[in-house]
Amino acid sequence: MLELDIEKSLGDFCLQVSFSAGDNMVALFGPSGSGKSLTLHCIAGLVTPDNGAIVIDGLTVFDSQRRINFPPQKRRVGYVFQNYALFPHLTVEANIGYGLHQLPGHKRRSQVEEAIRRVRLEGLEKRLPRQLSGGQQQRVALARTLATQPRILLLDEPFSALDSAVRGRLQSELMQLLRQLSITTILVTHNLPEAYALSERMVVYDAGRILQDGHRDEVLYKPRTRSVARFTGTKNIFRGMVQSVEAEHVVIQSNAFSVMAPTQSCRVGQEVEFCIRPESIMVVKPAQPLKEAVKENLLDGVIVDQLPRGSVHSLYFRISSSSQDYDLEIEVPSHAYERLGLAAGKAVTVSLKMNAIHIIPEHRDALRER
Amino acid sequence: MEAIDLFPLYLSLRVAGIATAISFLIGIALAWLLARRRFWGREILGALVTVPLVLPPTVLGYYLLTTIGKQSPVGRFLEQSLGITLIFTWQSAVIASCIVSLPLMVRTAQASMEAIDPDLEKAARTLGRSEVSIFLTITVPLAWRGILAGTALAFARATGEFGATLMVAGNIPGRTQTMAVAIYDAVQAGRLSLANTLVVILTAVTVGALAILSWAGRGPER
Repeated sequence: MLELDIEKSLGDFCLQVSFSAGDNMVALFGPSGSGKSLTLHCIAGLVTPDNGAIVIDGLTVFDSQRRINFPPQKRRVGYVFQNYALFPHLTVEANIGYGLHQLPGHKRRSQVEEAIRRVRLEGLEKRLPRQLSGGQQQRVALARTLATQPRILLLDEPFSALDSAVRGRLQSELMQLLRQLSITTILVTHNLPEAYALSERMVVYDAGRILQDGHRDEVLYKPRTRSVARFTGTKNIFRGMVQSVEAEHVVIQSNAFSVMAPTQSCRVGQEVEFCIRPESIMVVKPAQPLKEAVKENLLDGVIVDQLPRGSVHSLYFRISSSSQDYDLEIEVPSHAYERLGLAAGKAVTVSLKMNAIHIIPEHRDALRER
Repeated sequence: MEAIDLFPLYLSLRVAGIATAISFLIGIALAWLLARRRFWGREILGALVTVPLVLPPTVLGYYLLTTIGKQSPVGRFLEQSLGITLIFTWQSAVIASCIVSLPLMVRTAQASMEAIDPDLEKAARTLGRSEVSIFLTITVPLAWRGILAGTALAFARATGEFGATLMVAGNIPGRTQTMAVAIYDAVQAGRLSLANTLVVILTAVTVGALAILSWAGRGPER
């Protein structure tokens, strides 16, 4: 259990965040320099907040009003640093035993052995960190911190130092290990697929503030602000005016087109911002009776450009009546791209799935921002 | 060939050895302070530690004379209360050597401590180790090469110390005459063959000491 509500100023930067975490993992997600690592530093006691309180498992380790401030040594916070911070002059077993200095020799040895077994590093006890692969280094860092039986585990960009080839496998290994331990875990990452894959709960950071805190799907499909939409890869964000409000849908008119969106509390004439993820736009198969679901929000236009991204293709689509370079970014699976014979210059019809259109609730703030 | 009095060599090594030992301890502590702590006056402390590197030795000698000389408050206190006279003793040569060698020790050790990833020390803190134990088990072992290099430079500088030593310790043969001073003395007296011999010995000893230290500090690159 972690409860945190802190403020910290560093020069021009101001961190002001509040959240709590239970036994499930929480991912702090946001761009570099948004205060995620600083938050971890505050939890660990490496940085002292200006104001606020931090409670770990019912124990107040920091409270500015009650003048409580435990040093890092007394907080029992497990911190896995971005580059693992292994002691380069110490062997694997000496690294893992480093936090067990208070135990008598035999107990220390048996705990180190157990930690080594848990992360499957048997046989590498006498190696130095530089003789290990990135994945092995990560496991040493984990074992080193878990050996001290921390009450909370902080993972700072744990996969950023690894090749993408091994990343996926190591992520699922880590998840397995953490499930066995059931320890409060805070993951910091600026990598959306990583945050989404590892944690159901996402806390979105920007410029020292929390923009949104919720289930990963909510963050992804129902962003509360324009910034959240942008950070989570929603490329298509538009401004428009509410034309009509019905029981099942509202109609929004933007510059180049009008769409139906699920009914939300808004009134006719109101200016709104709405968005749709690139993968929620479908290219309609020509000369085929349209299924009910794709009949909504049909737009004619032309693919002005395309970019292969491996398993998907990004299409840049211009609506016929538009004068923009392009209006929509669409992501289609590469097999669909092939099957539909899509290419730059081709005229197509696309469908904006109504249920995928999201009206950004904090549009007014977002509008003022610009 | 005349018989050579080896006392100046013995005294030089003794003064340099003691001065280096003192510089080593004070220097590591200062290097750590400057590399790892943020406090008011840090820049001033850094400048004060470095300034003996650039000031003329005569200026340092003059400062020392006015600080520990018989007319100074410190000198008077030492003499009247404790019966200690520093001026014109070999101990004052140690003080002079310390001051000129300290900057080399501090700057070299500080640079090697600053090169250590601060995350290592932070990690050690979250693992429950005290600041002293982190310093001894992480900082010093990882900065070891720089500390050794600083020690070698400090020793070499202390062995060659001349100007400030001459001013505070004087040139008393058999008591305060170090190698550097003895060479100056020999040249002044026109005893060039003696000067030659002393110069060769001092050069050999200093080069030898540096070679041994750099040999001790060799090892695989990290």
